[in-house]
Amino acid sequence: MQLLAVSINHKTASVQLREALHLSDDEVRKIIKKAKDNFLKEGLLLSTCNRTEIYGIPVNPQITHQQLQKFISENKNSTATSPENFQTFISRDSIKHLFSVTSGINSMLIGDNQIFKQVKNAFAIAEEMQFAGYLMRRVFDSAIRVGKRAISETTISEGAVTVSYASVQLIEKIFSNLSKKSALIIGTGETGEIAAKHLRDRGIGRLALTNRTFEKAEKLAADLKTAVFPFDTFKDHLHKFDIIISATSAEGMIITKGDVEAAMKKRSFASMVLMDIAVPRDIDPATKKIDYVFYHDIDSLNIIVEQNVTKRKKEIPKVEKIIEEELDSFFEWYNSLQSAPTIKSLRDHFDEIRAEEVEKNINKFSSKDREKLEIVTKRIINKILHHPTIELRKINESGTGAEEAATKIGIIKSLFGIDNSEHEEEKK
Amino acid sequence: MLPVIHFLNILLPILYLGTFSVYFYDFMKGEKKFINVKRLFIFITLLIHFFYLLIRTFEFEHPPITNVFEIFTVLAFSITFSYFLLELITDIRGTGPFIIIISFVFQLISSMFIVDQFEVKEVLKNNLLGVHVINALLGYSGFTISAVYGFLYLTLYKDLKDNRFGLIFNRLPNLEVLEKLSFYSAVLGFILLTIAIIIGVIWLPQAFPEFSFIDPKLIGTALVWLLYGIGIFTKIFSKWRGKKLVLLSITGFVIAIFSTILTNFLSRSFHSFY
Repeated sequence: MQLLAVSINHKTASVQLREALHLSDDEVRKIIKKAKDNFLKEGLLLSTCNRTEIYGIPVNPQITHQQLQKFISENKNSTATSPENFQTFISRDSIKHLFSVTSGINSMLIGDNQIFKQVKNAFAIAEEMQFAGYLMRRVFDSAIRVGKRAISETTISEGAVTVSYASVQLIEKIFSNLSKKSALIIGTGETGEIAAKHLRDRGIGRLALTNRTFEKAEKLAADLKTAVFPFDTFKDHLHKFDIIISATSAEGMIITKGDVEAAMKKRSFASMVLMDIAVPRDIDPATKKIDYVFYHDIDSLNIIVEQNVTKRKKEIPKVEKIIEEELDSFFEWYNSLQSAPTIKSLRDHFDEIRAEEVEKNINKFSSKDREKLEIVTKRIINKILHHPTIELRKINESGTGAEEAATKIGIIKSLFGIDNSEHEEEKK
Repeated sequence: MLPVIHFLNILLPILYLGTFSVYFYDFMKGEKKFINVKRLFIFITLLIHFFYLLIRTFEFEHPPITNVFEIFTVLAFSITFSYFLLELITDIRGTGPFIIIISFVFQLISSMFIVDQFEVKEVLKNNLLGVHVINALLGYSGFTISAVYGFLYLTLYKDLKDNRFGLIFNRLPNLEVLEKLSFYSAVLGFILLTIAIIIGVIWLPQAFPEFSFIDPKLIGTALVWLLYGIGIFTKIFSKWRGKKLVLLSITGFVIAIFSTILTNFLSRSFHSFY
């Protein structure tokens, strides 16, 4: 199988280079069109912030990995790349790489299941652009199966591996139902914004923001449809919140132990979580001494992240086993796409139909006509199958490309509903 | 029937130990494949234990509530059975080993000291006594489970305060859930113990001529009942929560245990049958 793959990813290229080559969905569509016109009969183009990679079956055997690398580099901003920036794969290795990507073990954040959605989206675009042929569709199905099995059969995607998500995991160890809780985010920089989005995604009941630059908080509040407090008065509202996440770039402490003690008295010592993910810290660590106050800073969140990364790494061999199983299954199917067994299956299939119909109607014929009925029906079947049989034999004799042969055989099997492996299993 | 009873008497602590081991192993490893194995173990243990209690009742012609070691085996069964129901209803699975170990201890003590008691006082065959004791035992099972969840609450609370993110953090449900489980178990235990006390107060003076309200067991039970009552009252009508409440539950459990030991082994009263 001549399936080529070229990948530029976080292991081979800097973030600047990856950003320069990142493609939007519309750009992917345009490039697929060009790829179809010049290089690939069918394939897949995947582009995320950490990788851009193209897979495909070349229009002719002369197409090389270098041409595909050049094609990717030149298609957006004519970005300067070198061969070391690319990983190249062929045949089984190409599919293995795609399976590794889909399962998340090739991701920067091991087990990141965002990539599974991105791969599925890339499959959808390939289908939409008629870039997915008979073979690639089967590859897609297998890849999706790998992704699903990795999630359901292993814990590769479990546990938070980013600080902002770890803070949400920690909060969920204290409160059972976030929809009944309220949260205040102090500081609407990138970290604060991510934390706010995580909380919103987890269904937080009430979310409010505050920031030294009020306009910035207002803008994010409008995006997230949340309340916003002026920075100089937010302390008056501390007691109203069960969760306070602080991520400002302030030089000193902005929340003291006294502020929290006052707030706790007002809320009758109902549990309060303080997440200080700012460096330098925003909240006085002495607040952790107050009953029912759960104070955590970036260091404690990093402990959770490191533990989860270690756990995910331990799951990699299990995912690799799934990948090997699915690879074997895929190639078992692929190898069954040969002309001789297909001719036999096709003839058996037609003969079964013929024999069934003859048996049903045999009583309508006199005993001397029954032999003729057998001969005539067999002749009809032979004539119908003559041309397809010749065509199938030609595939082997003419040395047609393996992918094209597989495609033709696959179409015949699909049209008549025959499958060698199923056939054999039934016989067993 | 007796050889079967004796065999099951030896088998039951082994079964509880096996169930505890599977739950504990799952707690340590947290692998998905153990979920069904755990349930199978606990189900088989409960089934065999139920059968044991049933044949004991028929063979000795009285329910196994006439002495403290019979009561311990019923208690082991009711604690695990209550936990099993709780696990099925709430789908919270990380807390099993902490509860099943208690059943194991009760069953082990029972198996070691239980005797074949054919002859019991006529009064102990009374149906009202059965209802009284069963309610009391189920009530104490509720308190036991409440205390275990209370203890787990305190452990997780401390781990969260001290930034310790080990097995307790990873396997246990969150603090609010632990607090709720502790509270609801206590409420259920309190209701059942109240029923047991009401039956006792009405029936005991008629059944026992030497009945006395200053009996040590009655005082101990009243103290436990009062403590849980105060806890539930303050939770509902006042602002007590979290640590204070679970500490009260644990204290209630400890008093209940000491009261049982004191009244059954150290002091003699109309309420001691062994």
